[in-house]
Amino acid sequence: MNFKKLSKVLVGVTAAIFLLSGCGAAKNTASNGTGTKAKPDTFIYGIGGDPGNSVNVITTSDRFGLMEIKALYSPLYMYNADKIVYFLAENMTQSADKLTYTAKLRKDVKWSDGAKFTADDVVFTYNEMLKEKNAGWAYSQLIFNGKPVKLEKVDDYTVNFILPEVSAPGIELLANIFIMPKHIYEGETNFENSEKNAKPVGTGPYKLAEYKAGQYVKMVKNDDYFLGAPKINNVIFRVIPDANTAKLSLQKGEINALVVQSSDLKDLIKGDNLTPYTYDEGRIAYMVLNSNSSKLKDTNVRQAIFYALNRTDLINAAFGSEEYAKKAYTFLPNENKFHTDNVEKYEFNQSKAKELLAKAGVSGLKLKLGYSGSDVPSQKEAAIIEQNLKAVGIDVELAGGESAAISQQMKNEKSNYDMFLNGYIMGIDPDTFNSLFISNSQYNYSHYKDKEIDDLFNAGRVETDKGKRVEIYNKIQNKLQGNAYFYPILENKRIVVMSSNLTGVKEASLVPVYTFEDMSKLYFK
Amino acid sequence: MAKYILKRILQAIPLLLIISIICFTLIQLAPYNAIDAMTTPKMPQETVELIKAKYGFDKPIYMQYFLWLKGILSGHFGYSIVTHESISNDLIARIPATIVLVLPAYIISIVISIILGLTAGANKNKMVDKIIDGFCSIGIAIPSFWFAMIMIFIFGYKFAILPILGMNTIGVDGSFTDFLLHFIMPCSVLIIAFLPELIRYVRSSTISQITEGYVMVQTAFGSSKREILFKHVSKNVLLPIITKAGMALPMLVTGAMITETVFGWPGVGPYFINAVRGLDYPVIMAILILSSSLVIIGNLLSDIIYCLIDPRIKEME
Repeated sequence: MNFKKLSKVLVGVTAAIFLLSGCGAAKNTASNGTGTKAKPDTFIYGIGGDPGNSVNVITTSDRFGLMEIKALYSPLYMYNADKIVYFLAENMTQSADKLTYTAKLRKDVKWSDGAKFTADDVVFTYNEMLKEKNAGWAYSQLIFNGKPVKLEKVDDYTVNFILPEVSAPGIELLANIFIMPKHIYEGETNFENSEKNAKPVGTGPYKLAEYKAGQYVKMVKNDDYFLGAPKINNVIFRVIPDANTAKLSLQKGEINALVVQSSDLKDLIKGDNLTPYTYDEGRIAYMVLNSNSSKLKDTNVRQAIFYALNRTDLINAAFGSEEYAKKAYTFLPNENKFHTDNVEKYEFNQSKAKELLAKAGVSGLKLKLGYSGSDVPSQKEAAIIEQNLKAVGIDVELAGGESAAISQQMKNEKSNYDMFLNGYIMGIDPDTFNSLFISNSQYNYSHYKDKEIDDLFNAGRVETDKGKRVEIYNKIQNKLQGNAYFYPILENKRIVVMSSNLTGVKEASLVPVYTFEDMSKLYFK
Repeated sequence: MAKYILKRILQAIPLLLIISIICFTLIQLAPYNAIDAMTTPKMPQETVELIKAKYGFDKPIYMQYFLWLKGILSGHFGYSIVTHESISNDLIARIPATIVLVLPAYIISIVISIILGLTAGANKNKMVDKIIDGFCSIGIAIPSFWFAMIMIFIFGYKFAILPILGMNTIGVDGSFTDFLLHFIMPCSVLIIAFLPELIRYVRSSTISQITEGYVMVQTAFGSSKREILFKHVSKNVLLPIITKAGMALPMLVTGAMITETVFGWPGVGPYFINAVRGLDYPVIMAILILSSSLVIIGNLLSDIIYCLIDPRIKEME
């Protein structure tokens, strides 16, 4: 083959492609110009990962999957921050012996394929969740002391939940489970990989229109939605793996909403076309000391470390200002009903720290701090901790790593780390926090076994008198601060930046994990 | 010839087995597994154990390997542990996107690099050569994610002439111009990434060819420099390019990981990177097996093509 000819052809083709695309570009900007004037009918939310094509109410437990679930399905009710919002249930009442909850269901709900929603669907969903082999996300929270909750269909629109024993957080443990249609999923043995997941039939505000692997999930409004048809026709969750690209496309208007870090706001909020929204997720960032470290056996040393740390510096470095993160003094988030401020707070006090170190007779201490190296706030917190402790004469070795590897080290009783930085989002009832502190839990990262704490948590779980419960959890908070293994640093907010022409955010209500409690309330100005 | 090809393919099988064993072992050496990467303190211990047992993590490592191998041999890659999706479906959805991006970028790079490489080689140490060589040095030094961000900032945001995200505007799937608009930026980034190495390759083989006797003969016959370069030298320079192109075959799957991630291009790159982060071993293994098979196939193909087009090698057999 004549190379010269070939190369000529190829050059020609390349030139043609570039020319063609040039023309295309001109056309596109023109259509963009007119497009922004018309009222948009599509809400595009940028997300960092792919929710996949197999979301189902039993096994899906990742953030993006749950966001999609929230749009496609409805739960009986949502339990967040001391407020119950009813969806498929009209109300939930507790019997006098506190063992039976009765859910009255709405009668006006239709599945997106037209079938009627009844108590059978509720009983079916909870029973599938209770099958061990399905490995459902809520399986273990529906098991009370080894015995499962029992479901009883009273009539087509009434369901009884019968608990085997009294449980103070019962109403929370039964909440946030999305209901799936019995007539579709009956007989399904493999929920995780079921082909039915690709064609979901739900009761949520939106219906799945199209899923493109690695690109987006497109949903169209469900006109039959029982709380009123959504105001925006289409919702798209757009997968954007790179955070910087995502920010630029938000600025440009290719997407309408994105979760960002507080440090990004300065760049993003320049004009008035973007608006930041902050909301509490109840996430506590903390530092935990490893009780198996020989250097940290002395309470004085541990307290000295805590006194040497400056929460204000930590907040300013990691989240910019107290607008985006509050100081935390106990393991419970500040909004929690059971939270108390009446504890040892370890407010910043360098001289006291030095005094305590001298009292313990320790000098030249060198500690290894583990944290997730890819998490920006953690990196900054670690740097401040290093500085703070240096000031009282303690050297810190910063050992950032892959987050999953670090959490393995945290679970490992024999790890050679002295301290870890991490954060958690637990439930609302204080009992949901017990796995972080009771003796034999693998999530008790201090590995410190305190019988008294165990007993208090066990007592709190079955105590039904509100006043006595408050007392129990006050004691736990005090005891944990006194033990000085767990140092709560801050409680940070989540920040979502959205196009300013998007309204109804307050009515849609921002909630942890799902972002919107009811997306049907959003609309464009 | 057929016998030779068959022999080569048979030789590839133990190689693939060894590769899979090494990859599997390396994944197992990581201090955590896919389930650990998913657990949160909200998940009770029993749930975690339940999920681990479901994916065979409670069995010894060699058993896990055989289970995986059994799956591959019966023709399916299995399911992702993290997303529960069928891996074959995921790959079928993503590989075409990667090919559509990498293949044109690579072909354009080869064409440009042949032209620039020949020119630079023929004018060794002259101004043109220095400019082209300087461009190569800069090109090698520029990280592609950085260059991609700069492109996005300038063309996608400041001038807003090109879309930033993905492969298509949502809703206008069929439009070719729409695709091209999305294609220009990632493709240019890839070309800039591929070019320097290829240009240098062509340049150095041009330099060695130009000292050959046949060039002197042609000069003596009074051929113009241009004629010698593009008619005679280029043919000889193109031969090793075939080897290069053959070895580039796996790039059709894994050739644009970073670029794809930055542009949100729905190819194999972001998928693979996510899987590595979550230690989703069935996905990692599937992609590694695929790309190592392509290395072997690519080598085989370039050997065969070599035989077909170079009479000297054919005679040697």
